[in-house]
Amino acid sequence: MKKIYLHPLPIRIWHWVNALAFIILIVTGAQVRFGNVLHLFSFETAVNIHSWTGFILVANYFIWLVYYLATRNIKIYIPPLHHPVEFAKKAIRQAKFYGLGIMVGDHNPHHSTFDNKFNPMQQVSYLMIMVLLIPLQLITGLLLWDPKLFSPVINLVGGIQVIDIVHVLLWIFFSAFIIVHFYLATLGHTTWAHIIAMFTGFEEEEEEEEGHGAHSSH
Amino acid sequence: MGARKHILMVLFFVFVNFLLYPYASNGALSDEAKVCLTCHANKGMYKTLQNKEVFSLYVDKNEFTTSAHNNIGCNGCHTGYMAAHMQKKKEIKSKKEYTGNASRICSMCHTDEQLKKIPIHSPLMKQALCVECHGSHYIKKMEEWKKDINETQYCLGCHKHDLTKTLSSGEVLALSVNESAYKASIHGKLSCSACHKEFSKTKHPIRTIKNKREYTALSTKSCSTCHTDAQLRKSPVHSSLLATAACVECHGSHTIKSIVAQKAGAPENQYCLSCHKGRLSMSFKNGESLSVFVDEPSLRNSIHGKLRCTECHADFSKSKHPVRVFASRRNYSIVTSDMCGRCHSDANTKYKNSIHHALLKSAKLMAPACTGCHGFHTVTKTGKDLGLVSCNKCHPDMKSSYEASIHNKARMKGVQNAPACSSCHNAHDVQSTKMTAKIKDACLVCHKNAEDKHKKWLYNPPLKLRTFTELHFNTVACAACHAPDAGRGIYLNLYNRKTGKPFPEEELLKLFDTDAAGLMSKIDMNKDGSIDSVEAWNLFKYLFTKGASTTLIGKMDVSTAAEAHNIADKTKAVKDCGACHNPDSPFFKDVFLVIRKADGRPTVFNAKQDLIGKDLKSVYAIVPTTKFYVLGSTNLKLWDILFIVALIGGIAVPIGHLTLRIITSPLRSLRSMKKGGKK
Repeated sequence: MKKIYLHPLPIRIWHWVNALAFIILIVTGAQVRFGNVLHLFSFETAVNIHSWTGFILVANYFIWLVYYLATRNIKIYIPPLHHPVEFAKKAIRQAKFYGLGIMVGDHNPHHSTFDNKFNPMQQVSYLMIMVLLIPLQLITGLLLWDPKLFSPVINLVGGIQVIDIVHVLLWIFFSAFIIVHFYLATLGHTTWAHIIAMFTGFEEEEEEEEGHGAHSSH
Repeated sequence: MGARKHILMVLFFVFVNFLLYPYASNGALSDEAKVCLTCHANKGMYKTLQNKEVFSLYVDKNEFTTSAHNNIGCNGCHTGYMAAHMQKKKEIKSKKEYTGNASRICSMCHTDEQLKKIPIHSPLMKQALCVECHGSHYIKKMEEWKKDINETQYCLGCHKHDLTKTLSSGEVLALSVNESAYKASIHGKLSCSACHKEFSKTKHPIRTIKNKREYTALSTKSCSTCHTDAQLRKSPVHSSLLATAACVECHGSHTIKSIVAQKAGAPENQYCLSCHKGRLSMSFKNGESLSVFVDEPSLRNSIHGKLRCTECHADFSKSKHPVRVFASRRNYSIVTSDMCGRCHSDANTKYKNSIHHALLKSAKLMAPACTGCHGFHTVTKTGKDLGLVSCNKCHPDMKSSYEASIHNKARMKGVQNAPACSSCHNAHDVQSTKMTAKIKDACLVCHKNAEDKHKKWLYNPPLKLRTFTELHFNTVACAACHAPDAGRGIYLNLYNRKTGKPFPEEELLKLFDTDAAGLMSKIDMNKDGSIDSVEAWNLFKYLFTKGASTTLIGKMDVSTAAEAHNIADKTKAVKDCGACHNPDSPFFKDVFLVIRKADGRPTVFNAKQDLIGKDLKSVYAIVPTTKFYVLGSTNLKLWDILFIVALIGGIAVPIGHLTLRIITSPLRSLRSMKKGGKK
């Protein structure tokens, strides 16, 4: 067993704040929307928590952005599109692993390192999430926070209903995503390996037995 | 002692008269009368009655000598009075009492049965005393009296007194004629029967007359015997008045003056009132009529009481009275209201910008002009309380609502700036208030710091921004929160997306090639009386193909205008955000589509809830309502379903994957064992 340093402290802080904020926002968002059937908080309390947490999430996003831009490590999110065929093959191999290989005892074809943390599927997903979906959710949330203040922007995109639709659809997506994300986090070489790594920064990894990219257990 | 002295004096007086009798006696007078006349022939003899009236006791000896009663001794009539001479002075309260007593004495000879045989006596006996018509000491036989007297004098013999006749309707008709005024009138030299043709010295029929109106009509017939219709119609005013007014209503009856004398003698207002104090009316093309009667005391007490009639009615004067023709009463009121603007130009200019004027322009003729609130000739100095009377005439449903409001309670307590109708709606430039920003402005006139006060609690953390408060102020009518008992509704206003202004109904009617009455049927395709999301989408699509980009912007208001007036104490205002921001909020149950006219007046159509989410069909309304969304209240049901599906999917994927992993764990164990074997 060897330990690989995967998650620097700023990213670990960002991740857990992000995770907590996401859960709070999803739950308070549900309370705001389903006030007739859900009674966790009053509408006013739900909005207060949602708004405060939203701003925390905005600030948190900048921790992530500034860190990766400053360290130029943002490249770990960028798929190697200059080798599209090879990238597609790797992605298919990764999908096969999650769909079949993991069932029959294959090793994870992706070997995470500090500079190559994500497998191809993660890379595409996280790029979309971090560069498109989360900013979109933060911006639409901000616009909904005070529609009058941001009315020029809101009118530019067609109206507040448009903003709401985007925000709600992303809320639906993130609600489903976070469940799947949590499950996928348990698919390390042990159930808790990825999760512990997100606390400690280090992920334990089995020693390679032979060949490239393959792992063997002892 | 005094009584004895008094008796002795009278005995002495009678004794002396007895001695003088042979010398004083003359003609057919009875001896008794001669004795009485010894004193009563003296013109200076009078008695002051208890009510201070001076009562002459003089009797013209010659006249009495030729009267029908000359041979009756004085005591024949004055029974009690002769005896009174023997005692103390007879106390008489008034002439009326004396006349009444004297007349009763007549009935000693002229019995009621006898008198009632004469038809005219029968009704008169109840109201006129014998002496009032027949006189007292100079009564002549009727035949002789009639022979010697002219007709007018004959008639006035009775009619100079306060005679009346009770008509079938119960109205009391005065029959008295002022002799001097009659003689000074232009008809003063006419005999009575010239007009009252049925009557003469020899005939006095008893007529049954239903009411004064019928009597007046009869009198008009009399006039027309001399003043022919053709002659009267030469004057345009007469021509128009003949249909509605009786001659006597303008000209009077027994005091008629020539028109020249009437004009010269009377001030302008009196001249006008000579006709208009009568029950005149004018008629209109549509068959309506309007009273043009002016109540003189009310006019004098009005704020315009010192004005001349022509200062308002500038087209009229003593010398001109144009005949105008109006389509209807309302048309007349509207035209005549313009005259107010000559002095009240500011108010008139404001009025031209009012909802009332806009209604009039759009042929809603019941909308008030100046006189609708201020009246015609009874205009009083007005304050803001005027509306509590005049506004309530047309808006009675607002009355009870306003009276229960905190505003009225404050007014009743004497709070100076407590609002009445005009405080919010303006006095003359009355505005359409339903779902407009203007009514909010009206509230803010008094509640100047309302936005700042609301900002203290109506904000979205972490910042207290005024814009967030303004958002609510712009989309929720003040009454929607401050009239807690009111029903609420969502009013989706049709706006021009490009200009950001209401899309005018007039333009919509042109595009649909219909009129206001047909508009609903053009939008409500399935004719169920309510506009749904598909119909809203079709409206949007149709207008878009016609080059008009529109959008529906919703606002919350109370359900009825009356409810908007029942403003409660602020502690009772709706302050719970969840009251609105909830999928089941009752405030979002009633939905309306509002299309405004160019002048701002709304036309409100019923709409369905699917226009604001609530239904899968609501997706049709997404595009038409892209600018309307209320957090937690206008949720699109499709997204709710999608959320549930996503949650189920999000849970199903890990469970499914985990299940497969559990099922396949023997495979992995086997493979692991093989690898272990190799090793």
